[in-house]
Amino acid sequence: MKNKSNISLAVIAVMVIAVIVIIAIVYLPGQEDTKLTVIYAGSLVVPFDKMEQAFESEHPGVDVIMEGHGSIQAIRQITDIHREVDVLAVADESLIPDMMYYTYADSYVMFSTNQMVIAYTNNSKYADEINNSNWYEIMAREDVQFGFSNPMLDACGYRTLMVVQLAEMYYNNETIFNDLIECNFNPAIIEEEDFDNDTRLVLVPEVIKPQKGKVVIRGGSVQLIPLLELGEIDYAFEYKSIAKQQGLQFVELPVEIDLSSPGYADIYRKVVVQLGFQRFESIQTRRIAKPIFYAITVPKGATHPQLAREFMEFVLSAKGLKILQDTEQPTIIPGNHY
Amino acid sequence: MKKGSRAPVLFIFAIAIVCIGAAALHINSSGVEAEQIDWDLTLIGDTEMILSYNEVIAMSSYEGSGGFFTTVGTINGPFDCKGIPIEELCGLVGGINTSNTIWVSAPDGYLMVFTLDHIKGDFITYDPATMREVPHDELKVLLMYEQDGIILNDEMGGPLRLAIAGSDALLTEGHYWVQSVERIEIR
Repeated sequence: MKNKSNISLAVIAVMVIAVIVIIAIVYLPGQEDTKLTVIYAGSLVVPFDKMEQAFESEHPGVDVIMEGHGSIQAIRQITDIHREVDVLAVADESLIPDMMYYTYADSYVMFSTNQMVIAYTNNSKYADEINNSNWYEIMAREDVQFGFSNPMLDACGYRTLMVVQLAEMYYNNETIFNDLIECNFNPAIIEEEDFDNDTRLVLVPEVIKPQKGKVVIRGGSVQLIPLLELGEIDYAFEYKSIAKQQGLQFVELPVEIDLSSPGYADIYRKVVVQLGFQRFESIQTRRIAKPIFYAITVPKGATHPQLAREFMEFVLSAKGLKILQDTEQPTIIPGNHY
Repeated sequence: MKKGSRAPVLFIFAIAIVCIGAAALHINSSGVEAEQIDWDLTLIGDTEMILSYNEVIAMSSYEGSGGFFTTVGTINGPFDCKGIPIEELCGLVGGINTSNTIWVSAPDGYLMVFTLDHIKGDFITYDPATMREVPHDELKVLLMYEQDGIILNDEMGGPLRLAIAGSDALLTEGHYWVQSVERIEIR
């Protein structure tokens, strides 16, 4: 009897201790690392994963919380949703002044670039034939399927429309946009020429609906990679960094159309894409083609501004730039903008 | 054991039960009671109608499974989703046809546009284990108010969030899952 009651007491004691531990875990604040929130453009996922590891190893007691979004959605976390973000890195530097100045940020640093390419695999149809002078003819062939990301949702998507429109000008061939884009959608994605001083306007409807199965649209360009690998599409419009990170073959497009060079900014800006609806209140629907530059900033509402600046300086340091280069993200000499 | 010595043991046992209950409540609740939620949903079609949160959740609901992934592939769910099919809500203000688009928006200015095909469940679905595209059975687009049996709070995108759910626990693209829905307009 005594043994039995001792066992009961022991069981109850264990239960009480367990409950106390649970309550302590749930309710009592612990000794936690300093959490640094970094929001970055989705195309930086590979280098910024490495950046997190490297920064944490040099800063014991700091937990870098990384979160990837499309660039506009990333900024919106600060401007519309009012989250306290320590560091922001986007794939379009112009978005920072357009959406954040001067309430949420008053400077930024450009640190990386990119270029649009046509990605494919060895199994893609006509893989042994495609090059930077015939890509649009091969992609228009009846038995070829290709993909790009939804221009309503992803910068790589509306940049694809810009590239195809610029290709018409560069190759002096007025059928390229129709053959690759316009005829493959219902409602159509329309081009309007000369709407304003030699500028071309691409009108994207509210609903992006491919027809005839030739073109595949996905929300993000990264979602096209498995389709390429499985042979469900032959080609995809991608950033060069993504194509290289994924080990894909790619066609480098002429610099006049690949959105990589500030030297061709005057040509790029002749193309404007008008999106079908205003997905975010904080930014309008018109996108002007321009060179691709990535930028980083510490927003005004950063919870840990000093540590945030240290992280930004780390990204811009020789070590940070090497991480970017090692992960196929092209770098530039960082430059401040105010 | 003497009769008198049981009293402190029982007392401790009772406290333990209360504590376990409190901990369980803390873990399994979003901290929101349906009665406390002050939220209106505006429906615009042939007519216009404003429904309170309690009027929405009093409608006949659908339960299914579904989840989503973000731009960088972070998987959320699949969850058990409970909510009102959007098609039924649209039916309250005249219904939708093939020429319509459905504009779903939130107070922070986020907007997504859906077609009738979407509302009928025409989405690309992904296996949460492999992230490969997979076929799916019937899907419903819901105005979700409960996720895994918990009333949606602000952090979960509540009190009313768009969700895509069906019998298979599959994922869809996250941009469709509009948070804090306050307006559905048929155009």
